[in-house]
Amino acid sequence: MEDTHVSLAHGNGGRFMRELIVEVFARHLGDMDLDVEADAAPIELSARDVLITTDGFTVQPLEFPGGNIGSLAIHGTTNDLAVSGARPMYLTLNAFIEEGFELERLDRIVASLAKAAREAGVTIKAGDTKVVRRGEGGGIYLATTGVGERLPGVVPAIGNIRDGDSILVSGSVGDHGTAVMLAREEFGLRGDLKSDAGPVMPLTEALLDLDGLRFMRDPTRGGIASVAHEISRVTGFGIRFFANVPVKPQVESVCDMLGYDPYYLACEGRVVAVIAPEQAEEAVARWRALPEGQDADIIGRVSAAEQRVILETELGGERFLEELEDDPLPRIC
Amino acid sequence: MAKANRITLAGHVQGVGFRPFVYRLAHEYALTGYVQNRLGQVDVVACGDVESLERFRDELISRAPPLARPVIRNCNEVDADGYDAFEIVASEADEDADIFVPADNFMCDDCRKELHDPDDRRYRYPFINCTQCGPRYTLIEALPYDRPNTSMASFELCADCRREYSDAANRRFHAEPVACPDCGPAVSRPIEDVVAELRDGKVVAVKGIGGYHLVCDARNEQAVASLRARKHRPDKPLAVMFPSLDTVHEYVGPTDAETELIASPGRPIVLATVRDDCALAPNVAPGLAEIGVFLPYSPLHELLLADFGGPLVATSGNISGEPVLTSNDEADRRLANVADTFLHHDRPIVRPADDPVYRRIAGEVRPIRIGRGCAPLEIELPRAQVEPVLAVGGHMKGTVALSWDQRVVVSPHIGEMDSPRSLAVFEQLVADLQSLYGVEATRIACDAHPGYTTHRWARQQNLPVETIWHHEAHASAAAAECGGEGAWLAFTWDGVGLGDDGALWGGEGLLGRPGSWQRVSSLRSFRLPGGDRAGREPWRSAAALHWECGRSWDACPDQDGLAQAAWRNGLNSPQTSAAGRLFDAASALICGSLVTSFEAQGPMFLEALCRGAGNAITVPLVECDDGVLRSDWEPLLDMLSDSSRDRVQRAEEFHSSCAQMILDQAVAVGERQAFDHIVLCGGVFQNRVLADQAVDLLRKRGFDVRIPVRLPSNDAALSFGQAAHVAGA
Repeated sequence: MEDTHVSLAHGNGGRFMRELIVEVFARHLGDMDLDVEADAAPIELSARDVLITTDGFTVQPLEFPGGNIGSLAIHGTTNDLAVSGARPMYLTLNAFIEEGFELERLDRIVASLAKAAREAGVTIKAGDTKVVRRGEGGGIYLATTGVGERLPGVVPAIGNIRDGDSILVSGSVGDHGTAVMLAREEFGLRGDLKSDAGPVMPLTEALLDLDGLRFMRDPTRGGIASVAHEISRVTGFGIRFFANVPVKPQVESVCDMLGYDPYYLACEGRVVAVIAPEQAEEAVARWRALPEGQDADIIGRVSAAEQRVILETELGGERFLEELEDDPLPRIC
Repeated sequence: MAKANRITLAGHVQGVGFRPFVYRLAHEYALTGYVQNRLGQVDVVACGDVESLERFRDELISRAPPLARPVIRNCNEVDADGYDAFEIVASEADEDADIFVPADNFMCDDCRKELHDPDDRRYRYPFINCTQCGPRYTLIEALPYDRPNTSMASFELCADCRREYSDAANRRFHAEPVACPDCGPAVSRPIEDVVAELRDGKVVAVKGIGGYHLVCDARNEQAVASLRARKHRPDKPLAVMFPSLDTVHEYVGPTDAETELIASPGRPIVLATVRDDCALAPNVAPGLAEIGVFLPYSPLHELLLADFGGPLVATSGNISGEPVLTSNDEADRRLANVADTFLHHDRPIVRPADDPVYRRIAGEVRPIRIGRGCAPLEIELPRAQVEPVLAVGGHMKGTVALSWDQRVVVSPHIGEMDSPRSLAVFEQLVADLQSLYGVEATRIACDAHPGYTTHRWARQQNLPVETIWHHEAHASAAAAECGGEGAWLAFTWDGVGLGDDGALWGGEGLLGRPGSWQRVSSLRSFRLPGGDRAGREPWRSAAALHWECGRSWDACPDQDGLAQAAWRNGLNSPQTSAAGRLFDAASALICGSLVTSFEAQGPMFLEALCRGAGNAITVPLVECDDGVLRSDWEPLLDMLSDSSRDRVQRAEEFHSSCAQMILDQAVAVGERQAFDHIVLCGGVFQNRVLADQAVDLLRKRGFDVRIPVRLPSNDAALSFGQAAHVAGA
């Protein structure tokens, strides 16, 4: 392939498109049994419960410290399966590429996607590529659909949550949201903060045999505050976060400067788990024994008496973490 | 020949010793009949000769007890038969009537004499009270105001107290909280011990009437410093309680009006000018020329202060921004790391009432916070409303108001509304106001800001909700309180509130009347980097003014340009026209107040620098495309940033320039549209230097200028303003 940029011809179904798929996608994903010629691919599943999920990826900027849209497209979908108690097995991939997109960049993204898929132990069984006109896309959008098998052990579900349960997080919050924000053009890459994007399967699998495990969720958009609101909305219970929610100093200082609350910022490689209080310490110990769970901690509890999401502050105060607004407006100043 | 009258009295007649007074008066004139409390009013049937009846009727009003404010609603002739004595009959609770909930008041002179009389059975009894004094609002659980409906219900009267309570000639006849050392509440340990600890520099949490105080020796810098460190309150001024008016005068120099208010039965905190030789610890109110002073407001405090013999810091026992703590357990738990020891008592506080605070502004002493002694506050509207409305106020300095007919009852200060305890107290007051006054709201009025806790709460109720723009509520509150026919020009200058264009207003001139306003003037707007953070970080406002004018600012703490990059791209940088932020910017540039620990700290320092009026810099006033006149602050920027010039002069010039802006706007608005009065409202007008000069300039131009005097001009007035807005619309 001689071009340096994607053109509309790469999406017209002809030779250009075949070349693009073979030389970019198949080159990186070929070892995964990706049959670029077939209209449909067979997958093998055992008799257990099968779970399916799908997600779209539109992150800007496309590349950021600690990952890019390619690795994110794997982690986002496989992590959703993992927190549901499943082992991700197969993915499908859709790419919507904007005319004029650099092929070199596309190659980097697909390479990173392939690496993330291998690490997550999933194979990409089917895919599609479209090219949209210049100005009609943000460079590249990806969509992945994932299929996984339920693992033995607890079936985590939001409805299992009980009053008094402990809330755990597997690591510091807001790294991804902050890293992506700082990577945007206007800030021009500053600091050494990396996104936390990564696979959470080791974390989720470590807890599945604890019978007190109730629910797991990866706190992506809206951060841990939004996970708490979802739990509260569904169960009718309140959530109380303690003052020890882990936040990296770099994240804290960026949030201080820009006026953001790290509890609302996205993570892409963390797990929030709700577990019976008597097994919380054990769960934290298991997480801390894993490389991705070093900073795990018990950060809150479910409280039927309160029906709201409350954050305890270091100064002994308490404040509401309100549900995220589309466009949060300053209230006090 | 004997005649009989049935007289119905309304107004403030409950909890103020009115029935015993009627009883004694009737006996004086040898009348027969009865007096009876009904819900909120008093019924009297009196039989006797015509002349006695007439004088009795007159003196019911003219000789009424000091705390009573009776009005005769009805008087007609009835059958004179069947009364051989005059008696007080049990209350009736089942009728509609105007209800007035009495406020908590300080000890009367008679009780005070007994408190200090070694031969009296209530000698040094911290809970002494009578029909003329003592707690009311904070111990009433339900009306009518009878002992079983108060937090005294669990204290069985001893024989002596019962005798006083039942003796119509006694000062304690039906004094509902009556008590003595034998049968009443008690403190958890001897006051002498507490005094020794205070002398030792300890911080003690003392339970009072409407909540706990944190108390320490106001002359001991170390004690004050540890209170500040433990309460995480590094700079905010602390109130000081003095044993007597004489000692007050040793430290501060209050005016006559301030002195009168300090000694009034409500015993509020009054901000008074510090004397040059003031011997209080310097960290009581660092950087400020005023200190909040008050006198003991209960016999317990009277004993504590008299025994201690000097001024004590007495600051609200709470976690910053939350309502003052009232329950023993919760105080124990939540003040464990703040107080060294506790002085509890076992009379439950039914609902909190924080100390009220007043300050002299534009010639009158005006409230900054309403609370104990003035709660619940009632204001009459010019006309009756169609339905009862619950007005839930704003987000900071929360209050809640219930309005029906022509009446609006406003709760005392609750706190900042983003904590669970604030919301819990708010919900209790919502329920209590409705049940005490027997009025059920059928509509809710709230601020238009969707992120306010009170707005969200309003949306969760099953009642129609009316949203009101923040500054329209301010304007409605001020105009409705001041009263008067015609059109108003309301200058609403405050921190920020949501405006109808989605921007954050706060420097607005609104023309109209309660319920109907039009924005006619404002300030040049600018984008505020970091949104809410700007409230405690004045450097953000200073930086914003520079960036807005394309200038750089060397002293900006945003050294690596992160905030500026966000600001340039509109990330969390909302548009605002708030005067409060302009004052923040000025304080950052003149006083170097870049980061502060409490709201308006920088502007308070800035105000404290001023000695008098300065040269006003006239700034352009431009009529914009939307028809709004906007003052452009840009010409002030050079003066504000000129660090080669004296700080005092620059502070004075800034204040005078802002006062001039107000005058220029008023004149320009007047040339375009007619109005009858001007009112100044919003927290910025708690700045005396600004308010005094603005009022002066406007009056010299012949304008009729008002500033609210019953409610604070800050966000505490929003609940009343929302009610007035709905009533006026």
